[in-house]
Amino acid sequence: MEKILRKWPRYVIILLLLALLVFMLIPVAWAISMAFDRSVTTFIPNPPRLWPEQPSLFNMQYASTTIPLWRYFGNTLFVTVINTLLSVTSALLCGYAFAKGTFFLKKFWFIFMLTVMMIPFESRMLTLYLQYSGWGMNNTYWPLILGNFAYVYGTFMARNNIMQLPDALREAAFIDGANEYRTFFNIILPLCGPIIATLSILQVIGNWNSFLWPLIVINQKNKYLLSIGVALFNSSENAMYFGPRMAVAVLSSVPLVIMFVFLQKYIVASIALSGIKQ
Amino acid sequence: MDSRKKKHPILWWKLKQEIQWYTFILPAVICLIVLTYIPTIQSFQYSFYKIASIGLNKTFVGLKNYSSILRHSQFHQAVGNTAILALLGLMVIPLGFILASLVNELGRTRTQSFFRVMFYLPNILTGVSVVMLFQFVLRQSGGLLNSFLGALVGHEVTIGWLVDERLTKISATIISIWGGLGYCMLINLAGLQSIPTEIYEAASIDGCNGISRWRYITIPNMTKTFSFLMITNIIGSFSRFTDLYMLGGNSASGKPGGSLQTIMMYIYQYSFESPNYGISTAGCMVLFAMVFLITMIELQMTGFFKKNEA
Repeated sequence: MEKILRKWPRYVIILLLLALLVFMLIPVAWAISMAFDRSVTTFIPNPPRLWPEQPSLFNMQYASTTIPLWRYFGNTLFVTVINTLLSVTSALLCGYAFAKGTFFLKKFWFIFMLTVMMIPFESRMLTLYLQYSGWGMNNTYWPLILGNFAYVYGTFMARNNIMQLPDALREAAFIDGANEYRTFFNIILPLCGPIIATLSILQVIGNWNSFLWPLIVINQKNKYLLSIGVALFNSSENAMYFGPRMAVAVLSSVPLVIMFVFLQKYIVASIALSGIKQ
Repeated sequence: MDSRKKKHPILWWKLKQEIQWYTFILPAVICLIVLTYIPTIQSFQYSFYKIASIGLNKTFVGLKNYSSILRHSQFHQAVGNTAILALLGLMVIPLGFILASLVNELGRTRTQSFFRVMFYLPNILTGVSVVMLFQFVLRQSGGLLNSFLGALVGHEVTIGWLVDERLTKISATIISIWGGLGYCMLINLAGLQSIPTEIYEAASIDGCNGISRWRYITIPNMTKTFSFLMITNIIGSFSRFTDLYMLGGNSASGKPGGSLQTIMMYIYQYSFESPNYGISTAGCMVLFAMVFLITMIELQMTGFFKKNEA
């Protein structure tokens, strides 16, 4: 394979990759054209078009009058921001303690946290749901938020990162009479920029896409998260209005794509570094 | 208080330190106990009870839930579907490796980062949007794939990608590969780029080139990456939900004809759609055991245990 590749001039590889890329992304272009096409209602245009026949925003307007689309955006944004702040803070606090702290049963608590990675969420989703129901938290955002007080994977990453910081920094702070909190906020935190960025990106993507758990705990139409609202709209309009369905699909992807455009380098690096797929 | 503090200043300081450190981890520990450990143990416990979903009246039935799901033909189908979907999903690894090899040939240039980013783009689209998109692409009449195939063969093609029970697993795999290829490429590329160039230089001095170089240097150096991708892919496919649920028209019965019902969907169905908590928690434990077993097998294969002992 390498030999074959070596023989190929560079532009052949580039052309090949471009062709593959176009093949992969054509469905997206097709979907966008349908989302903006007034003429796409109860049929899919055949032959397929990459440019709308009657460009308009009708599909978006139709969708946003049928479901409270903007509200769903707001709900998802709210939950995403809170969860990201909470979980990244928790990961850094725990990561710092496990990296630099000395306390009773430290190793035990570390293994206690890592073990959680072996327990699939699915094996406790029912009992967790019943527990929240018992606390009267159905149809609130608490079940979506409370779990973020622990972010095990983030703790692990933050620990590995903070361990690499020199101990001399902490010693200097200690001599100056700083307690662990001051050391953490004034000295460690400013040095954790890259890991904070990585974890935040992973959390934003993960929260924006979360589906199963919000589907289980929220059953009130105006409290739905975007993913759930869109999925329900999709099935209720199934086989009827194609344009609006595509419009909603395109719209719900827009925020993450915008984020991706601006932060692509960091996002790609975060995924490659962490090995986490969202 | 104060006098004791003066008597044992080091002890007091140590205690203060201990408390300080514990406040760092306490919220997370409480959260994990209450929201992970207790529900998991409870799930395990429920799997031995017959539970009336209203009021949660429990009767101990021993292993009866397990024996009834093991005799349930729907569960057999779910296990089979889970295995087939997991295996089909692994195709993304060789594809991602080939793609990464091509992208790697470009060297660390701007062209390379362009392709890295662009091939990653499908991963960033919201899961729900991707499924909706593919419900259109794979549609029997007017779907993009059938139109494309029709243009290739010269007459109309009406393959029921999402309707024909024999094809749905392939269609679901197309969706997962489309969405996961960029990720797989990225991880493979990171693996390829971490192989030290000295090895290749030494090999070329020894006359090892072309195919043999690829066979004896690249692939052995990539086994760690491959096994990492295999673990994450298989375990990820066990918890796969959004696309299969939406393809079944927002139901966990795995329509059409149960051909897409995995163990995960089986658990969901008996947890929330037609509640039978004993059955669903027994299913949970089977899934848990499978995830655990596969993680162990993979860790053994990759020599994780050996390395940690040494």
